Amino acid sequence: MTLLEIRDLSVIYRTQQGTVQAVDRVALEMHQAQHLGIIGESGCGKTTLLRALIRVLPRNGKITAGQILFKGRDLLTLSEREMRQLRWREIAMIPQASMDSLNPVQRVGRQLEELLTVRGKLDRAAARRRAVELFEMVGLGTERLEHYPHEFSGGMKQRAVIAMALALQPSLLIADEPVTALDVIVQFQVLEVLRQLEHELNLTILLITHDISVVAQLCDSVAVMYAGQIVERSSAEQFFNAPGHPYSLGLQHAFPHLVRPKDYLISIEGYPPDLHHPPQACRFAERCPFAEPRCHQQSPALEEIAPQHWAACLRAEEMDSLRQQAGDPQVWLKTQAARQSANGNGRHFSGNHHDREVKTLPTAQVAAAQPLVEVRELSKRYHIGGGLAGLLRGQKPQTVYAVNHVSFNLQRGESLGLAGESGCGKTTTGKLLVKLLEPSAGQIIFDGQDTAGLSRRQLREFRRRVQLMFQNPFEALNPRFTLYRSLAEPLIIHGWRDKAQRRARIIETLEYVNLRPAEAFLDKYPHQLSGGQLQRVVLARALVLRPDLLIADEPVSMLDVSVRAGILNTMKGLARELGLTTVYISHDLSLLQYTCDRIAIMYLGHVVEIGPSQDIISQPRHPYTQALISAVPVPDPALPNPPLRIREGVPRPTQQAIGCPFVERCPEAMEVCRNVFPPAIKVSEQHQVLCHLYGEHAASPRLPEPMEESLS
Amino acid sequence: METGSKLDLPAVLVAPAGGPRGSWLGQFLRTNFEVFQRDFLALLGLIILLFFVVVAIFAPLIAPYGPTEVIEQEGIWLSNKKPSDQFILGTTNLGRDIFSQLVYGARPALLVGFSAAIAVSMIGTLVGLLAGYFGGWVDALLMRLADVAFGIPFLPFIIVLSAFLDPSIWNVVLAMAALLWRDSSRVIRAQVLVIREQAFVSAAKVSGAGHLRIVFLYIAPSILPLTFLYGSLAIGWAILTEASVSFLGFGDPNVVSWGYMLQDAFLSQALSRGAFYWFIPPGVCIMLTVMAGFFIGRGYEEILFPRLRRQ
Repeated sequence: MTLLEIRDLSVIYRTQQGTVQAVDRVALEMHQAQHLGIIGESGCGKTTLLRALIRVLPRNGKITAGQILFKGRDLLTLSEREMRQLRWREIAMIPQASMDSLNPVQRVGRQLEELLTVRGKLDRAAARRRAVELFEMVGLGTERLEHYPHEFSGGMKQRAVIAMALALQPSLLIADEPVTALDVIVQFQVLEVLRQLEHELNLTILLITHDISVVAQLCDSVAVMYAGQIVERSSAEQFFNAPGHPYSLGLQHAFPHLVRPKDYLISIEGYPPDLHHPPQACRFAERCPFAEPRCHQQSPALEEIAPQHWAACLRAEEMDSLRQQAGDPQVWLKTQAARQSANGNGRHFSGNHHDREVKTLPTAQVAAAQPLVEVRELSKRYHIGGGLAGLLRGQKPQTVYAVNHVSFNLQRGESLGLAGESGCGKTTTGKLLVKLLEPSAGQIIFDGQDTAGLSRRQLREFRRRVQLMFQNPFEALNPRFTLYRSLAEPLIIHGWRDKAQRRARIIETLEYVNLRPAEAFLDKYPHQLSGGQLQRVVLARALVLRPDLLIADEPVSMLDVSVRAGILNTMKGLARELGLTTVYISHDLSLLQYTCDRIAIMYLGHVVEIGPSQDIISQPRHPYTQALISAVPVPDPALPNPPLRIREGVPRPTQQAIGCPFVERCPEAMEVCRNVFPPAIKVSEQHQVLCHLYGEHAASPRLPEPMEESLS
Repeated sequence: METGSKLDLPAVLVAPAGGPRGSWLGQFLRTNFEVFQRDFLALLGLIILLFFVVVAIFAPLIAPYGPTEVIEQEGIWLSNKKPSDQFILGTTNLGRDIFSQLVYGARPALLVGFSAAIAVSMIGTLVGLLAGYFGGWVDALLMRLADVAFGIPFLPFIIVLSAFLDPSIWNVVLAMAALLWRDSSRVIRAQVLVIREQAFVSAAKVSGAGHLRIVFLYIAPSILPLTFLYGSLAIGWAILTEASVSFLGFGDPNVVSWGYMLQDAFLSQALSRGAFYWFIPPGVCIMLTVMAGFFIGRGYEEILFPRLRRQ
């Protein structure tokens, strides 16, 4: 039965620059119990479509044409009052960043009950019963009803929001990036909840995401949106096995894959077209490696290329051969957007180092056995709740152990990945390495010299040799400086007085990071560049002093999938050419596997496992590493995730563990884990794990599973 | 996925407004220009202020008489004259030309207004920058000082100050400089705290930039619009305060200011005599300049906090 039918829906936004055609003649059909995922990069109109569906567009947005038939009624003809009746009861939404949508000063249970009594017209007792039922359904303990939102972890909040969305038994659930910004384990658990509910409640879900692995895990059908239009529509199976549009091919090859790692990720160069003036031809042509002259003139219509599989591509009949070619990264360098690389208008940039002639820098002296960096027992503690105000309130000052006795070495030229959930201390470790923070204990030996007692001059030299690359490129550059100025700053600070030399160095560096022609970028301001270009500038600034060590904190997490690979490939290539030692900090294991020689897994400030990337991914030893890896969603519906083995719990960084820091969440916890800090055990020459399981206690009985929130 | 997530900062603090080219000073001027271009009231305020500046500068050319000049005719004081061709706004009970007083009155008003504005915004900016950037005991010390300043009632403070020092219009400036930096420093400190945590500041640190460089090259430009906001508000406050102090009789008796005129009119029962031409013009002038200051301030506020505009 058709539940929802969208017919030729068009939505525009009025902006100062004119009218943006955000959604352009979109047609969709959803039947009962279908799980449809809409994929696309940011700015493709996904969220607009969703908002138009429940008629909550921003004030400058307007639906200009089309129909939205929900259970046969056209939503666009309903009055605002009727629409209000419909929202939540018939169509419920899990918004983006929904964790913030709980009222912080009211118990979560009360919020839920209020919704049930006011909107659901239940009496108090019935509402109570229903609330309990809902909490059980999403895997939250019923005692949680009495808690306030701040007592919930991110994943629990997300579950509570899902419970609220489901409270009135809506016929359609729409979700805007339901698991984005969640930690990987939490993300897995939320996905699991949604997957179970899909089956138990026979839900109809419409979700939008940029992450094809979420679609692979949750959806049975897929729509790909590009520049306001649907370019492909198919079952999930077809989408992953035989995608029918070059854009879908690109997306799939841009995604790192933990189970079947790729040697080379492709990057879809360029950006979606400016929707103020949508091109009259195929909108993807500029970025399409298979574009023919006619693609730049004709606009393809959505046509059925196989049963139940529609795609809007002029070369749809040749799709089989295109699929073959799409795996080759060289192909993706031949798009118009890639060739046009940075031609003055600043909307294009070139991506790959691969087929370009590469200037080689003087190789750093390939070093003796001495590692570049030795980190010994590094710790960083924070004291919170102290101070006069805290004392007056009778609080005991608490200590947060952000980084806890961390030791590792970095060989020259190698790349190390630091992984772990948010709050595990990976960013703090990065900041300690660049001396943005001072350690509370322990040492960092850089090139044979303890960084603690550097003289002014030595510190200056250290600042030249160690650089940091930031997560958010939109904040990492001074908005008031031109790019030239931003890049010149480090040189000025380090005494490059000669203007011509500075300029030469800056241009050279911009070319290294593939911003060409470099001169075109010098006078630009950060807000004139796209995220991908900005991150390249940030990389250039880090490299302009030709450092020996580069720490990259989540270098691509703020960027669209289609441009991520370009940045990573550039970084990888440059590290090799410049003999750079790199530390990547990321929550994304598949990314680290792609970029790093070794990976260190951190939990509550401890490095619980460290070893060569391949070993860590394919033979994880620590139960936490195992959990992390099995939680990474796989972008392939045929490969369901293995069951996640971890106990529910929130890491508490204020408790200095006597035993193993992971004991409370460890599925293999033993008595000894509670009382004795685990020893560092060498699994192989390079692979080391901090766990009792591989020591003398390996055969001890496991602790029983506590009976609490055992859903995962 | 959001690629463009910027911190929720006012637009000017994040991106240079207008056509982006040239030095940051150029940008900064453009930003200021934009305030007046966008906001009619701010432009009006600027025009009013400029008008009074011109009047103050060319006072001797505009005013037919000196401000304290007693006008006699054949040995008789021409006191309490009604407005006429000779005396546009009439004369006071001591035979002084009210119009000339009004013209000359712009001088102390603007002198006090601008110097107090500069003092207040400079001190406030500096304190806010230092407290916000360095944090720790610097912050604690400066902010406790601000708390003390918040605890001192403003007008009584000036009166006490005037009792200790010779009466002078500079007392007002001194008092404002001593107390009113508290508001701007608090706000600027809060803004610095936000900017300090931005990655581009850390980036400067990592490349080895010193404290001074970071404070003045990276942070200060971003808070200058706030400085201007508080400066323009201070102009109004200062003029108002000077008028109040003069009206209360603690001003300099040798300087004719608008407040002094009001006091003079009050003491000579101009009100009961219905001499509107005496006390209304200085009142209107005070009101206009104060309004001008606030209009300009409002313009800055709107550009700083664009959300105000929509409401």
